[in-house]
Amino acid sequence: MTGRPHPDRTASDDRDLPADRTFVCDDCGRRWYYDRRRCPECGRSSADASTVRLETGAVVATTTVETTPPDVRTPNHLALVRFDDVQLIAQAADADVSPGDRVRFDGSHRLRDGRERTDPRLVAVEEP
Amino acid sequence: MDPSATDVRVSGVGTTPFESDSQRALIDLAATAAERALAAALGLNGAAADRIENTSATGASAFHRGVDRVESSDADVALVVGAEKMSAGDTRRVTEAISRLVHRREYAQGITLPSFGGLAAGAYLDRHDAPREALAAVAAKNHANAVDNPVAQFRKSIDVEDALDSPVVAAPLRLYDCCPMSDGAAAVVLIRGDKEPGAAGADPATEPRVAGTASATGTHAVAERPDPLSIDSVRTAGERVFDRAGIRPDDVDVACIHDAFTVLELIELEELGFYETGTAWEATLDGDTALDGDLPVNPGGGLKARGHPLGATGLSQIVELVCQLRGDLPESRRVDGAETAFAINVAGFGNNSVCTVLRA
Repeated sequence: MTGRPHPDRTASDDRDLPADRTFVCDDCGRRWYYDRRRCPECGRSSADASTVRLETGAVVATTTVETTPPDVRTPNHLALVRFDDVQLIAQAADADVSPGDRVRFDGSHRLRDGRERTDPRLVAVEEP
Repeated sequence: MDPSATDVRVSGVGTTPFESDSQRALIDLAATAAERALAAALGLNGAAADRIENTSATGASAFHRGVDRVESSDADVALVVGAEKMSAGDTRRVTEAISRLVHRREYAQGITLPSFGGLAAGAYLDRHDAPREALAAVAAKNHANAVDNPVAQFRKSIDVEDALDSPVVAAPLRLYDCCPMSDGAAAVVLIRGDKEPGAAGADPATEPRVAGTASATGTHAVAERPDPLSIDSVRTAGERVFDRAGIRPDDVDVACIHDAFTVLELIELEELGFYETGTAWEATLDGDTALDGDLPVNPGGGLKARGHPLGATGLSQIVELVCQLRGDLPESRRVDGAETAFAINVAGFGNNSVCTVLRA
């Protein structure tokens, strides 16, 4: 089904997904991580788009931030990671993640103080 | 008149000093910059008025808007003012407000603008096998350029070692790789054609012309860019403005580049076509972008040392370039013989970019 979003529907930009899940278009299969109101490929409304869990990805770049907002851990280890067709920036569990490493989401952490929800962080995957 | 230029000239410019903690009210800063740009009282009653908000590219967007209004004959004269007082809120609140610029899924991860800078800097150094000194050299150059700029926030020379030894903000970026929070205002007066006298009584023929303005959007979420070293909004806005002005990057004599982080100066210079991909760092270390180099970049100190009051920065770039094109600066900070000037003002970490070309 394509067309305009239903006025009573909640668009995907109001959906608070866990860090390890990404949106996927039910029509064309295109995946996107950062909320958008329509599928970037076919234009279908994202209001009821399905979500899928991300498996393993490759680290593209990393940084460790020493000057963080008051409700964020210091230091904050971050990694830019490519999961096939989806790329995102997320917290790594520790500094032991480098460009080229394979990573996956794991664990349950409060990413910002004061938030009730918890999310997984990126951890290195041992190559077989 | 150069056939590639618009019929709009920048007749007056004004700016307040950029400071860490101004004791003056925001409206006072704005009025002072405007008064200095006007240099004579102009009646503003009955003038059309707009307010532009485009985060750190607000100044250039307002300039763009003013040029459009004058070029389209909606107005004969436009006063464009940009002002910001970042010290009005405590650091925690200002940091929180700026951190809200990122996508909400980025915000949930505690990501800030320096986080993007750290990721890009690490990727740049890795991919191009560049030394950490290349970033520090950008900071040292821009600080050196600010020493003789009376409105600069930091008129203090630093060397590469100072930058390398400063505290880490977002590895590999350190304190001296990052622009400060600033208070300040800047203003320009735009006039169409040659008939009206200049705002400061100058001969209109001596006043710099707007050869072109252009802007472009990019992705909001930085990770959605296929390449962390690619900023499409910068590249597209640059291509558009060079096309509109009828020039190539090689024609530019002096440039103001949005160096919110040192690595951005390098990436933007490459995206805009001033240097081949992966070579701006070598050019910087070789002195090409110094005041006496082939392409002087940020001769007023850039965001890094002149300061970055968000709403004023884009206009302060124009003020700097107009002064360079007029040649009415002390020899110690003048780019001799500059005829073509370029500025880029970037919103967020490249959500959108605004470019301007001026001709003497």
